[in-house]
Formats: sequence, C-alpha cells, structure tokens
Amino acid sequence: MAIFPSREWVEAVLQAAEKSEKYKEAAKDWEGDFLSIIEGDEEFVRDLSRREGMEGFISFLDMMPLEARRKYNGTPMGDVFEKKLGVPLDSPADKFSIDEMLSMVSKLSVEDLKGACTYFWSDFWHGSVRAMKPVAPGEHEDATFKLSGKYSAWKLMVSGKQDTIRLVMSNKLKLEGDMSYVMKHMKAVVALTKEVFAGVPID
Amino acid sequence: MYFEIDPKVREDKGLSLLREETHRFAEEVIRPAARELDRMSDPEQVIAKDSPYWDVLKQMKKLGYHRIFIDPDYGGLGVNATEAHIILEELGWGSVGLTTAIGVDQIAPAVASLFAMGDVIEKIVKPWVEDTEAKYHGCWGVTEPECGSDYIMACEESFLPHVKELHPGEVRADEDGDGWVINGPKSSWISSAPTATHVGLHVTLPPHDSLANGAFCIVPLDQEGVTKGKPVDKLGLRDDPQGDITFDNVHIPDDYMLIRPPFYEFRIGQIICTTSCFMGTVFTGLARAAFEEALEYSKNRVQEGKPLCEHQLVKQKLYKMFEKVESSRCYTRKIMEHVWEKTYIERTFDASSRHALSAQIYGKRSAFEVAYEALQIFGGYGLTKDFLIEKLFRDARAGLIEDGTTEVLGLAAAYNIVQEC
Repeated sequence: MAIFPSREWVEAVLQAAEKSEKYKEAAKDWEGDFLSIIEGDEEFVRDLSRREGMEGFISFLDMMPLEARRKYNGTPMGDVFEKKLGVPLDSPADKFSIDEMLSMVSKLSVEDLKGACTYFWSDFWHGSVRAMKPVAPGEHEDATFKLSGKYSAWKLMVSGKQDTIRLVMSNKLKLEGDMSYVMKHMKAVVALTKEVFAGVPID
Repeated sequence: MYFEIDPKVREDKGLSLLREETHRFAEEVIRPAARELDRMSDPEQVIAKDSPYWDVLKQMKKLGYHRIFIDPDYGGLGVNATEAHIILEELGWGSVGLTTAIGVDQIAPAVASLFAMGDVIEKIVKPWVEDTEAKYHGCWGVTEPECGSDYIMACEESFLPHVKELHPGEVRADEDGDGWVINGPKSSWISSAPTATHVGLHVTLPPHDSLANGAFCIVPLDQEGVTKGKPVDKLGLRDDPQGDITFDNVHIPDDYMLIRPPFYEFRIGQIICTTSCFMGTVFTGLARAAFEEALEYSKNRVQEGKPLCEHQLVKQKLYKMFEKVESSRCYTRKIMEHVWEKTYIERTFDASSRHALSAQIYGKRSAFEVAYEALQIFGGYGLTKDFLIEKLFRDARAGLIEDGTTEVLGLAAAYNIVQEC
C-alpha cells in the first residue's frame, strides 16, 4: 500500500506503467503532458494527521529541489506549512519534525486549506510515462492538459475506485485542454486509470 | 418458424431460453395490450390510471427490462449485447410502442449510472432500478417546436462546424445559486412524456448560441413550473403516448446536470449510438412480426384454387421480406455488439456513429418495407382492423419519423462518413 501522493507512489506508478503492456498499447498514440492540481480538503487534513500520510506527503514534496519548494512560499499551501504546521516548505528535509507537525495538524481546519494546492506534472508520450514529479506553482502552466480537483476526488481516481471520465463528468475533477484530442484517445485515458493507477493500491 | 443463423447463439441453451421466455411475454402480454391501446379512440385513455399501459410497464419492470442499459455496477441487468439484442427484438415483435416506453424509461438513469456520483445515484438510480411498480418512469426530451430531428444532427460530432446553422435551441438552463433553472418548450413528440415522472433533458447553456453548447440533465416532472400537454392523437405507435413538456423556472440541483461541456459537445452522440441500436433492433422485431403475419396468411388464404404462397408473385415478395428481416437482425446485432463494447466494456465511449445511425435507419426502413409488402399480400383484408398487419404497417410508417427522420439520421451519418472515412 502506497500513500498518495508520496515518492513511493510516484515510483510505483512509473513502474506499473512500464510493466503494463495493455497501457502501452492503449496509449501508443498519445502525446501530451498533464499539469495536475490537487486542492486540499477535509480528507487531506485527515490523511495528513496520520503519521504515514504526513511522511508520505513530505517525501513527495522532497522530490522537488529547494528552489521549487521556495516558490510555494506566500501561496496558500506554503502558508499552511509555514504558519499552521510551523515549517516553511523550503526547509531542508531534516528540518521537518513529523511529531511536531502531527501535533499541529489537529488544529488545521478546512478553512485554513482554502486555495491550498499541490502541483504535479506528468509527461505521457506514446505509451510511456516520461516524467511524473511535483512542481512549483507556475511551472508547466503551458502543459497540454490541466486536471484539477479536490484531494478526495484525486484519491478516488488514483485508487481506481472511480474512473476519470465519471469524475470529470460529475464535475469532481476539471479537465482543461483540447477535449477533442482526449475524446479521440479515450482508450489511453481509461487504461491509465485501470491498468496503471489501479495497479498501485493506496492506503 | 424462427431459425437463428448464428451457431454460437443457436447452440447456447441459455440464449434459447431467454428468447423463448421473452417471446412468450411479448405474445401473451405485450401484443394483446398493444392492440387494445392502439384501438382506444382517445389517447387520454391510453395514459389513464386503469390503462393496460401501466400493467405492461409494471410487468416489464418486474422482469428487469428497465435495467438493460443501466451500468451493472449500479443495479443494471448485467446482460451482454447479444442478450440485450435478443430481448429487444422479441419485445419489438410484441410492440414497438410499448418497447419504446421501457427504452426511454431508462435513458436518464442509464446515463446517470454511467457518469454520475453521489446524490444522483442514491436518489435516482437506486430507487429506479429497484422499482417494480412503475413509480418511476422516464422519458427523453430532445426535439423542440423550432428544432425537430435537427436536434439529432447537433449530436453528431462531425456536424459541429455547421451546428450554428441550426436553431440555437429553446429549452435553456441557467445557473441559479447552487443549481440550475430551466425554461422553454420541448415538442409534442416526446415518447412517454404524458406518463413520465422524470425526463432526461437536452438543454442549452449560456450564452445559448448553439445546440452544441448544451448539457443533458435529469428533471423530476412533479415540480412547479412543469406543464405537460395532452397526449397526441396519431396514425401509428398509438401505444406509445407522446406529448409536449414546457418548463417555466424549473429548478434542479447541480448534481442532476449529468453531461455538461465540454463532454456534451463531443460525447452526446454516444447516447444516440445506443438509442439507434435500440431502435434498429426493435424495428427488426416489427419487421419479423409483419413477415410472419404475411407468411401465415399466405399459407391459408386461397385464391384461384391455391394458397397465396403458391403464387409466384407472392413467393417473390415473401423471399424479399425474409431477406430484409434476416439482414436487419444480423446488422443491428453486430452494431449493438460494437456499441455495447465501447460503452459498457471498454468504456471509451467512442462507438462509430455512422454505423449506429445506419443500424437505426436500416432497421426502420426494413420494417416499413416488410410491413408494406406484407399488407400488400393481405390485399383488402390488410386494410381492415381484423388483422394485426394494419397496425404493424402504421407503426412502421411512424418509425420513419420517430427518434429522428430517416433522412436526417442518414445526413448525420453522411457527415461522419465524409469526415472519418
């Protein structure tokens, strides 16, 4: 079981994509990167209040260089870490005290998370996933597609409990970009959820 | 009389049993009720509380026919394409009108079961699939007074560059707090509108400049602001009550907006693919019914000292009718399998619209041509109310218009052929 999002989850997804012949076949014609935007919500607070959840999320952020993390300063997500959890996001990894942050996260409310987003970027190219990593606000704004939504909706998608189409159709996730391209490559979208994401169980 | 040409279907005992059971229901329940409804002089009698329409609808729901197109994960019947085709052909054999009632019934909950989450599943889909008393009954609101079959054109992705040449639509939805408010009229040709509790409704969204800038929602019809017109008195499909619905500031929650931009523009045609397979299949059933009536009559009716079927001109007609029935079954079943695969198995919602539309056109046209020739074989008796064939002929004729005229459906398919082939 991996934590979403975490370094472990990203590595497992990359492996699953590499191993899945069904995904490679379904996505063989796909060309296009995604900027994914995860908005904080109640479930995010609940997961952060668990040690594994907090450790997983820190490991995810730690995949970014310090300069990228610094760009979160002054954003709602940066403020959550600096003002509510007591550690600026651009702190070196050894400065993150999980115990202290867990004690403070219980005081975190959904209101504190208003506008707080985490960004990650994935580059899908002819059946392979060339990159998947957290990025700073403002990076990869020119991505071919943008997919945004609350953390709980993202979890439904990456767990494979709900397919991407249902989440987008019911407005739980918002997809921006050339829709006709997506529609012509629905096999790739479906296979990404069914064959890759669902192949990495999350906790 | 029935011979299944596909050995995989013929040798499958489960499928044979399914056909026999559905046929028995169509013969013993649907057809007698359909004839009774057809002969009612006032369409209000068809929709009255004590009408056989309701008895048949309840029995169809008890048998689960209202769940054929519902996602199996959300209470669907769980049949495959071949099974669905067998059921629908047999029901169509009994009556296209009453089969249309159970078809349009499930459009809104089927779309919800495929694409919605949360409240809609709990409040609409679950009680709908569990209903065996026809407490829930759906209709499909597409055409409008100013925009009839053209509305189907707007659902064809290949026609999108030209969609602004059409009327921009009369039924409009505008955001209203945390939901939507709906205004405008749907035309008189909404099947089951007079009897429905809910409508799966096509609307346009601000700035209301194009049918492509639309959405599909589910609207409960027991609300203030909903007005239903009288059921239409018509030539054929008289057991399929049709009427208009007008919306005057009718509110729905945001969750009830099931397909919205940009998916509406690019994927609403997939609903038409499914309904096209449905129509093509049930009209294949009608074609077969007309053929069987004519064959039976031609064996018993004697002219010039020998049965009609021994006359060469009649023989030739019977052959042509047989050919149309068989080819219609093969074609509609094959395309049903394709659409089913894309909708319920792969879930890529990218079925070929030109094939689906042609399945509908082929099934309807075959039904009309077969019913026409069948009536011709009956001669003058075919024009009397004494024989079923006159009803089948009128129903087949109505089919060339209902659910999109065959001309417009063909034009929509042609746009797709020119662009994609």
